[in-house]
Amino acid sequence: MKNDIFFRKLQSSFFFLVMLVLSLMVFLPLICILYYVISRGIKAINLDFFTQIPSHVGDSGGGVLNAIMGSFYMVFLSIIIAVPWGLSAGIFLYDAPDDSRFAYLLRLSVDIIQSIPSIVIGIVAYVWFVMPMQKFSALSGSFALAIMMLPMIVRSTEETLRLIPKTLKEASLALGVPHYTTLFKIMIPSGVSGILTGGALSIGRVVGETAPLIFTAFGSPYLVHNILKPMDALPLLIYNCAMSPYESWHTLAWGASLILIFFTLCINLLIKIIVKKWEVVL
Amino acid sequence: MSNKILDIKNLNAFYQNHQILHDVTLNFFSNKATAIMGPSGCGKTTFIRCINRMHELDPKAKVTGEIILHNQNTLDMDSILVRRKIGMVFQRANPFPTMSIYDNVLAGYKLNGIKKSRDEKDEIVQDSLEKAGLWHEVKDFLHRKGTLLSGGQQQRLCIARSLAMKTEILLLDEPTSALDPYATANIEELIEELKKDVTIIIVTHNMSQAARVTDYTAFLYEGKLIEFGETEKLFTVPKHKMTEEYLAGRFG
Repeated sequence: MKNDIFFRKLQSSFFFLVMLVLSLMVFLPLICILYYVISRGIKAINLDFFTQIPSHVGDSGGGVLNAIMGSFYMVFLSIIIAVPWGLSAGIFLYDAPDDSRFAYLLRLSVDIIQSIPSIVIGIVAYVWFVMPMQKFSALSGSFALAIMMLPMIVRSTEETLRLIPKTLKEASLALGVPHYTTLFKIMIPSGVSGILTGGALSIGRVVGETAPLIFTAFGSPYLVHNILKPMDALPLLIYNCAMSPYESWHTLAWGASLILIFFTLCINLLIKIIVKKWEVVL
Repeated sequence: MSNKILDIKNLNAFYQNHQILHDVTLNFFSNKATAIMGPSGCGKTTFIRCINRMHELDPKAKVTGEIILHNQNTLDMDSILVRRKIGMVFQRANPFPTMSIYDNVLAGYKLNGIKKSRDEKDEIVQDSLEKAGLWHEVKDFLHRKGTLLSGGQQQRLCIARSLAMKTEILLLDEPTSALDPYATANIEELIEELKKDVTIIIVTHNMSQAARVTDYTAFLYEGKLIEFGETEKLFTVPKHKMTEEYLAGRFG
């Protein structure tokens, strides 16, 4: 009997140890990536890095201003496209009757879009925008990114609205407030933190995407402000520079990786701030 | 006999294929409080939700019959207009979480886009909060969030929000079921005061509450109106055997 309990305790501590070690190992990839990227990338970071475009082949120095601006333009544009689009669909889904077949199909489609590989979305954007326009453009890249953002915005909008007690909606309706006014002035403001979080998460998802941009924005070594022209983006620059045989471009790629990681970190922080600042106590 | 304000004739309510209310016919008198009483699932809440057209929010629900307010059948009126005349307070207090106490009281105006001057707004807020017996407790922090108040205060805020719209009838759906005895007593006292300005229809599980605060009582059972009359008479000498048994606690 006594022996039995001892054995059980041993077993229990053994499993605890295994789980502890495996849990600690979750940190491992993150630490390795951060160490690698920071140690290599930090060398590239200086004033030129943020104010110059990449140097000519063979020359050292240069910066990634074109890619930073390009990423900024394209993400900004994709937000403008995806947010009203996704928000409307999310609100529609929330508002649809439970047994609506159309809503069922819409939800299913959103889930399917979510799981389509990003490279396929890139090819589709190529067929839809690049081929008819007969040129690569930042606009087509933004569309590809917007399609990738869509599912997250739709779902987070719908789910956030569902979490708001129905009693709030009824309180507004009982005051003689029309249905859509209730939706836009009561329900959405009450769910603003969840909706913003969904938006921020979707930005985090697309800012590091390379695949949808290869066939659409294509990349450009110059500082471009025209959204109808090919444009560079941080992940594209990383992809192109890392494939090149030049040491100075490799350094740029490491530097770009570092700021990309830094940027996603900022988005995660932003989400925490949004939740804290905008959360509505129900 | 006081004035009839609401005349309900042959009210039937359905949800999908299920009939919830069967031919309910009764009157409500102005500036009186009427209790709707009955066991769980008897259709009390559905009944008052029909009165301000909240029942039909669900497309599967259907209502037939007549609910006459000032010679007009509310079932033929625009539901939005009906709801501005007949206010409702729910089981759980539901102040708007994004709004201050001040804005919560004015929510009916703000959300409906009715513009008011600063002075008018201040007056409506003070007047409504006074009627709801909340003014003295909150007058120094009107711009704090309504959700920071206690449960009983929130419920009175919701009453003030309805009163602000100058409603003629106030529907109370078990307004005290989520409150402690002290807050409940507060609301009950308030109902007595409110009768000066509005007609009150209150759904309650609590028989002694119905006896304490109302002038008339309607007893519903399985969607049918069993008995309706002056509260005092109904409680002391019920005409119907079922009412008597319910009051004695033999079912429900």
